[in-house]
Amino acid sequence: MTTETNANLLDTPERAPAAPARTLTKPSFIANVVTIAGRELRSYFDSLTAYVVIGITLLAVGGFMFMGDDESFWKTDRATMVRMFEMLPWMIAGIVAPGVTMRSVAEEKRSGTLELLITLPVRDSEVILGKYIGAMSLVLVLLAGSLLYPVAMFTKPFWNLGVLDWNPVWSGYLGLVLLSLAAVSVGLFFSSITENQIVAFFLSSFTLLALTAIGKAVGSVQGWGGDVLAFVSILTRFQPFAKGLIDIRAVVYFLSIAAIFLAASFRSLESRKWS
Amino acid sequence: MIAASNLSKVYGAFRALDKVSFDVRRGEVVGFLGPNGAGKSTTMRILTCFLAPTSGTARLNGLDIFDSSLEVRQNLGYLPQRAPLYTELSVFEYLRFAASLRQLDYGTFMKRAKTVVEVCGLAQVLGKEIRQLSHGYRQRVGLAQALIHDPPILILDEPTSDLDPNEKAEFLDYLKQIGRDRTVLLSTHNLAEVETACARAIIVSRGRIVADGSLGDIRGRSGKVRYTLTIEDPKGELKASEVSEALAAVPGVSTVDQRPVQGKSLSFEVSAAEENDLRPQLSQLVLQKGWMLLELRRDAQTLEDVFRALTVGDARRNRNLKASAVEEDDNDDDDDDDDDDDDDEPAAPAARA
Ligand SMILES: Nc1ncnc2c1ncn2[C@@H]1O[C@H](COP(=O)(O)OP(=O)(O)O)[C@@H](O)[C@H]1O
Ligand SMILES: [Mg+2]
Repeated sequence: MTTETNANLLDTPERAPAAPARTLTKPSFIANVVTIAGRELRSYFDSLTAYVVIGITLLAVGGFMFMGDDESFWKTDRATMVRMFEMLPWMIAGIVAPGVTMRSVAEEKRSGTLELLITLPVRDSEVILGKYIGAMSLVLVLLAGSLLYPVAMFTKPFWNLGVLDWNPVWSGYLGLVLLSLAAVSVGLFFSSITENQIVAFFLSSFTLLALTAIGKAVGSVQGWGGDVLAFVSILTRFQPFAKGLIDIRAVVYFLSIAAIFLAASFRSLESRKWS
Repeated sequence: MIAASNLSKVYGAFRALDKVSFDVRRGEVVGFLGPNGAGKSTTMRILTCFLAPTSGTARLNGLDIFDSSLEVRQNLGYLPQRAPLYTELSVFEYLRFAASLRQLDYGTFMKRAKTVVEVCGLAQVLGKEIRQLSHGYRQRVGLAQALIHDPPILILDEPTSDLDPNEKAEFLDYLKQIGRDRTVLLSTHNLAEVETACARAIIVSRGRIVADGSLGDIRGRSGKVRYTLTIEDPKGELKASEVSEALAAVPGVSTVDQRPVQGKSLSFEVSAAEENDLRPQLSQLVLQKGWMLLELRRDAQTLEDVFRALTVGDARRNRNLKASAVEEDDNDDDDDDDDDDDDDEPAAPAARA
């Protein structure tokens, strides 16, 4: 390096040498969250994560709807999307949310990039929220992608297989978004407690599948035990949405799970300081 | 500018830092030295608000790391050990990312980026993804992101440990420019680096500060000198242990270390207090015994000697440093003073008297 570039550096006009604690722009919460979320989303599409998760899920949904057992779309022969709404909660709980969030914090801890991120003037809450919104955005892209099925099946220039009642479809999607808000939050939490993204994936997949599956058991458990299961089950909470009902208690339920696990992720990120 | 007071950090049952206090004044470039595991990174992580100290606190630019964590981070640029960057971003995107989180508007960012890219020599790779870059270049990107907001304080954790000798020299050159009007704390386990780049060093060992002062002060601190004595032994009839015993018996000598054998000669390193010149006594001994003297040299203690003396407890972790210290004088295959982790030659066998 020449002294010329050096002079250049020193002559930068705003450089008042070693000014006392400079008053800098106060960090903007929203702007930082958006920047972090944007980078997250970008890295999903940069690695194969986004394509793999979206591809697998859409294919699986298609396969489940059109092929196989007695209840496939062709066999039932009705203009309905219930089949998709049976399938997607399981996919989101078992694969999508864990797959999308597994790297979020765990991989950054492992590779050390978290240190560089957190030593920038960002709040821990901005990091968590940014990562959450980044992951959630990818899930929304996926859900939007799954809309291709009803559109292709029941609208004019395409197959137009029948007259679909769109109301349960929209409420079903609302339910899926709420369910995803909760599931992604759970995934993010498990990613924040380990440095190993595979461990994060299995922990959140297991937890979310268990929370979903207990919905299946609800019918067979009598009394208050069944009530409790129904209360915590992702599946029972989701089902009304697929039928066109918007259950306000379920909305509260999903948002509460999201909030609780976001707070837990935040705590977990903060706890690095005291390790 | 940086004031650490009584920083302690306990990991589980392990005390990584023990009441570390130091001050770095405005505009100083200070080397933070210590063998691996001494607690350098831990200290820096505390200063940069990544970790909280178990006890004690620190102020940067007058701001407390607990009370004004965000402002502290606004005032500093930090390059963590091994420059962990988002490798999927291009160099430009990375700088843009760091700048956005530092609230630089686009105009300011472009202006700063121009300067920083020039200083760090990144013009050629600006559009490349970081994953395609060599470690040397990643290190530069790390430095560039630390400088993007023109911070008054710069904290660099082993910025040169993965660089080749040329890159190191270049990096230290940047550092000299950058350090002109900034407060810089630079950690390293390479002494040559400190001698080039810093006027002052803080030496840590096992979580404690063992020396803090100008390089001259630290060098003079031990009050010892060392003599290098080589005698010829063409027939291989001399016993090294006898020679070193005889040397140790000379009044004033404190330790005798045998250097690795080179051809048909035996070489010893004798250390003694600074006050008296022992060369007459040593040469007399050689004459008396009828040995054939090849070399007798008196050196002031190097910074390296002091460093070794101060951090002896860390012998195990310190292994690579010892190896390179030996190399320095042997001057056989590798004289670039490279203290890297992979530089793992066994230390010379020492015949201590
Ligand atoms: N997160 C951690 N948990 C437990 N021990 C740690 C942790 N981080 C560092 N240490 C230990 O603390 C000591 C100091 O580490 P560090 O500050 O990284 O040293 P340096 O940077 O000087 O090589 C080392 O012995 C290291 O093993
Ligand atoms: Mg370190």
